[in-house]
Amino acid sequence: MNLLFVAPAFVLFGLFVLLPLVSSVFYAFTNWSGFSTPEWVGLANFSRALADPVHLTSYLHVTLYILGTLLLEVSFGLVMAVVLNSNRLGFSLMRGMFFSPMVLSMTAAGVLWAFVLDYRLGLLNSVLRSVGLNDWALPWLSQGSTALIAIMFVSGWRFAGFYMIIFFAALRRIPRSIYEAATLDGAPPLHQFFTITLPLLRQQMLTCVLLAITGGFAGFDLFFTMTNGGPFNATDVPATWIIRTGFDNNELGYATAMTVILAVVVLIISVVYLRLTERGDHVRY
Amino acid sequence: MTRFFRLAASCITALMAASAAVADTEIRITHAMSSGAGKEAFDKIVAGFEAANPGVTVKQIVFDDDVYSDTGLITQLQSNEVPDIYFQWAGYPVQRDVEAGYAADLSAAMADSWQAGFIDSAFTAGSGTMVDGKIYMVPISLDITNTIWFNTAIFAENNLTAPTTWEEFIAAIKVLAAAGETPIVTGNNELWPLGNWASHVAARVVSADNFHAAFAQEKSFADAGFLRPLALMQELHEAGAFNKDMQGLGADPAMAAFFQEAAAMHPIGSWLVGSEGDLAVEGFTYSQFDTPVIDPTQAAPKSVIATMTGFVQHAKAAHPAEATSFLKYLTSVEAAVIWAESGAISPVKGVAEKANMSDQMKGVAAMLANADAMVPPPDTTYPVPVAEAYYQAAAYAASGEKSAADALKWLDETVAAMPKP
Repeated sequence: MNLLFVAPAFVLFGLFVLLPLVSSVFYAFTNWSGFSTPEWVGLANFSRALADPVHLTSYLHVTLYILGTLLLEVSFGLVMAVVLNSNRLGFSLMRGMFFSPMVLSMTAAGVLWAFVLDYRLGLLNSVLRSVGLNDWALPWLSQGSTALIAIMFVSGWRFAGFYMIIFFAALRRIPRSIYEAATLDGAPPLHQFFTITLPLLRQQMLTCVLLAITGGFAGFDLFFTMTNGGPFNATDVPATWIIRTGFDNNELGYATAMTVILAVVVLIISVVYLRLTERGDHVRY
Repeated sequence: MTRFFRLAASCITALMAASAAVADTEIRITHAMSSGAGKEAFDKIVAGFEAANPGVTVKQIVFDDDVYSDTGLITQLQSNEVPDIYFQWAGYPVQRDVEAGYAADLSAAMADSWQAGFIDSAFTAGSGTMVDGKIYMVPISLDITNTIWFNTAIFAENNLTAPTTWEEFIAAIKVLAAAGETPIVTGNNELWPLGNWASHVAARVVSADNFHAAFAQEKSFADAGFLRPLALMQELHEAGAFNKDMQGLGADPAMAAFFQEAAAMHPIGSWLVGSEGDLAVEGFTYSQFDTPVIDPTQAAPKSVIATMTGFVQHAKAAHPAEATSFLKYLTSVEAAVIWAESGAISPVKGVAEKANMSDQMKGVAAMLANADAMVPPPDTTYPVPVAEAYYQAAAYAASGEKSAADALKWLDETVAAMPKP
């Protein structure tokens, strides 16, 4: 009888999660164009992936991107939450404005910023040229040295408000009495931030860092709309390279193998991160 | 009462039968003509077919070009409701579709006067419309996939004429760059726009056997002599030929930039003509020349790079008879003239004489007629990953990101890691 009750959920889970997962693992061991019949090739796709320079470099790019997001999204979100943690007039509006990019879809944000950063007609270069800084007007998304930084910046613009809201909600739960006692003891604001605020936001920070890491590995839409991995693979992250390999080059078997590798990498990082954070999960007042 | 019910049942049955008899048969066609004169012409042809065939309607499933070739087509071909007819590029894609069982053999249907209505080269072993001697694709256009379009006003201002040799071409680029113009705009973020041209350049300086051997992974690109074409790309970069944002710019925005007079030249296919009405500024004047002769001693110094495009009838089409009927209508002289006048070169006999083509399309047709060989684009002839790798190597050299020698080394290493066909 118990099984009857779990059957609908199990069938749905099996159809939409387990079956695709198992079939993905199967296709990862095949040479399959999407048009042809899959042909079993053993570990060939995996050995190719481990020797594919674009695939390997895409992990470097995503690591840099995640570091960028930790700085521009999580850290900046934290700073803004602390700065805007006030009931004074206008602060609520400023928090709303800072959060507002979150209402845009990533695709819309990517397209919007691609226009802003366009070399010949973009807003940024138009402003630079209008003030006589012609040499500063660069093809931001067309050169490897600036394209990834531009994506990090846009990602920061989009997500910093999200992290700010998480930290802001947590800040409101810290009792004021702790700060008052610290003030009476003569602790300056910066000292209070490092000895009271940061330790009490530890859980939220751990969550935000995990979200930034897993979200970074899943990052695709912003990269796809702004550079599609270019120029010369300089902004290729695993997801963009997998999509291009699968659908542009019709190598779905190989692309699926890289997807399996990505899933394993994210799983390992998440498990290790959670284990490490669980060990130190004690707050001392 | 029973009689009443019998009468009512009979009436309902009769009504249902009558409505079924007059119900439209819908044939589903998927393609990538999403805008411009080509889309208007195709809509007009569809309307003409529907008017000539009462009871048959055509549903068009339209995608943007890149979406169609990446995911749009494959998704439909593998669905439970396949399109009756789909757009395809001749060559490797058709061969792949035949092997996968998607393409219907049209040889029997074409055996009558239908096939005779096409130019002879439409159905040859090298045309890409046939596999193992059987016809699988009905061609509607002969697309020059790369020619060099130029702004005649900018050329005139700089006292330039269409160059005929590579040396003249480089000299013209230097003149334009010195005058503050962007000599060539290309939108290469998907690699094929420049890659296609670079393949044509390669075909001009590498022997046909070596060209084939490299792309078929029978020989390394270095051994096949591909340093020379990559060095020519590097030479273009050193002459200041390209727009700074070439690797971040899309093909369509680059075309728009050319029509907005942001550059003197734009290497792209003959389909550019169909976008003139939508994109060109008022009074815009332009013409085209083929890639100038690079080495007159080569076997085909005046080749063109071209491919056929057309429609394939799905092997599991829900309405095969109506689908074939549509394809016959589409390639009738009447419909082909409408199509040609939108900016296409039709492979249907007699169309070139009857169609009122623009000067640009007449020029393209003349170039095709005077060519000493037709080179197919690698990405519709050989495995796509190999073609894409060459395209990227060409982009490396053309943008100055790598020297020709380094780009060649990268190319051979990349292709060596790929599985052999």
